[in-house]
Amino acid sequence: MEERAREVEGSMSRATIEPSRPRILARISHYAVAVWAENIKEWRLELTYPADFVRSLVDPVVYLLPFLLYGVALVGGRTSENLHRLAGTSDLVSFITIGYVFIGFMNMALWAMGFSLRKEQMYGTLESVFAAPVPRWVFTMGMSMHSILHQFLMIAAQIVFIVLVFSIRINPLGLLPSLAMVGVMLVALYGIGMIMASTTLIFKQGWLISEALASILMVLTPIAYPLAVLPLFMQRAALAVPTTYGIMTARHFLLGEAMPFSVGAAFGRLALLSVVWVAFGLITFTLIDKYTRRSGTLSHY
Amino acid sequence: MTFAATIGVIRAEMAKTIRIYLSYPIIVVFWAVFPMLWVFPFVFQGKALVGGMSSPAFEQLTGSGNYMAFVLIGAMVSNFVFSGLWGVGNSLREETYWGTMEYIIASPTSPLVILVGKTLAEAAVTTCIVCLQAVVISILPFGISFTLAKVLPVLLIVGLLMLGFYGFTIAFAGFTLLIKEAHGWIHTLEWVFFLFSPIRYPVQVNAITQVVSTLIPLTWALVAIRGIILLNRNEVSLGRTVFILLVMDAILLVAGWLIFSWLERKTRRDGTVGMH
Repeated sequence: MEERAREVEGSMSRATIEPSRPRILARISHYAVAVWAENIKEWRLELTYPADFVRSLVDPVVYLLPFLLYGVALVGGRTSENLHRLAGTSDLVSFITIGYVFIGFMNMALWAMGFSLRKEQMYGTLESVFAAPVPRWVFTMGMSMHSILHQFLMIAAQIVFIVLVFSIRINPLGLLPSLAMVGVMLVALYGIGMIMASTTLIFKQGWLISEALASILMVLTPIAYPLAVLPLFMQRAALAVPTTYGIMTARHFLLGEAMPFSVGAAFGRLALLSVVWVAFGLITFTLIDKYTRRSGTLSHY
Repeated sequence: MTFAATIGVIRAEMAKTIRIYLSYPIIVVFWAVFPMLWVFPFVFQGKALVGGMSSPAFEQLTGSGNYMAFVLIGAMVSNFVFSGLWGVGNSLREETYWGTMEYIIASPTSPLVILVGKTLAEAAVTTCIVCLQAVVISILPFGISFTLAKVLPVLLIVGLLMLGFYGFTIAFAGFTLLIKEAHGWIHTLEWVFFLFSPIRYPVQVNAITQVVSTLIPLTWALVAIRGIILLNRNEVSLGRTVFILLVMDAILLVAGWLIFSWLERKTRRDGTVGMH
């Protein structure tokens, strides 16, 4: 009897352990399908307005040019001795272009992801999204997938134009490591995007928060200037911003920008910031999600 | 409608728009503070590229090496342009969102009169914000001072700039009746203004931007205003600038009125006014 009992117990524990692995895989694949479906839905919506899509590819180039022309007007050419002294590279066109190309991901996180839920609300589909059998973070991840792919297209348009008109010179061997660092930066930005998405659930018209945060981050991040020109308190604040590490290391690999920290330290801090921002984003999102459901204000405009 | 009734509608629309503005005081604070914050990256960029607060190359192009003052004046004056784009150009789209567009269309008042009310309210709010910014800037050590002799010609130029530009935004409001979702187009227009007018950099640094910029009233206004504030030379070019702005105003106001009337007629005829 005892032997039979042990056999039954063993088979039961096997039954509880062994199928759990396929269940996890099934769940991951279920989430992946939802992320992909959300991404495809966004692309379909976007391509329904082809003129607007083309405009979105031209915009980044028009946006970038005043910063470059301002730099050229300041020094009377494309090289700056002072920039060379501060950052180890004198080509201001390449320096500024790379900074603004990668900062586009931050705008993506703050605007596209941040407004993902608000957009669904305007379409009248927010309630359906919330009733779907996947966690909400899966939905925002699908939205961010579309935004990241869109951002890469915009970067391609910027780079093609700048290479043709200004012929920037970069180290091709630095492409892979800089993309890897930008990838880690994207994880942190996903966390910030989650926070922005949740604030729209409370404030509804959350553009003010996104605009304010974007403006502050645009000043703190050394996009068109090295970190050293910022006042000391801003330099310290900049070290808590993931875009600082993403952009500086990308420029370090591509242009040889001198950094006040090592690549290893930059990677370590960026990885830590990613964990912190994502955890903070998920917790904020969950709390606000619960609050809006309990207070019954989810469908309010 | 009688003239007195039209004035009454304009006054009511102004009161409504200002009341909506004041319902969100944080938005007014935002517009007073953040356009100044957007100047900081340019100041740091200048410091990084030049190493000081004055640039000889910049002086060759603009007559003044004080690039920070150049960018600050651009930011202040461009407030009128961008608030006009959002506040007037996008105003009918907002009425659609609020669900009040149909009432405007069905009322015995022309939408053009409503737009005039919105324009005046927007101009009043923006003028207050820019005056506040000017006071703050003149107190801080940016090398910009405002005396009465400078302020009066500057006000004349700003008035002429707004007159023509609001003509353009009225045409744009008609455009939003046609295309509905104009949010992205307004952003594109913002960046076109940043590129082809000397808001943030001297356009003469590039041959293409220099030529295109002459078609935009903001270019003439900014060059004259900077000349007055930074270089103390108002008598020489003021008459010419006023004449050019008057011609541009006449063209933009007439074209704005004609384009808006035509687009409004078209959307009414097509039955698409109430569509989203």
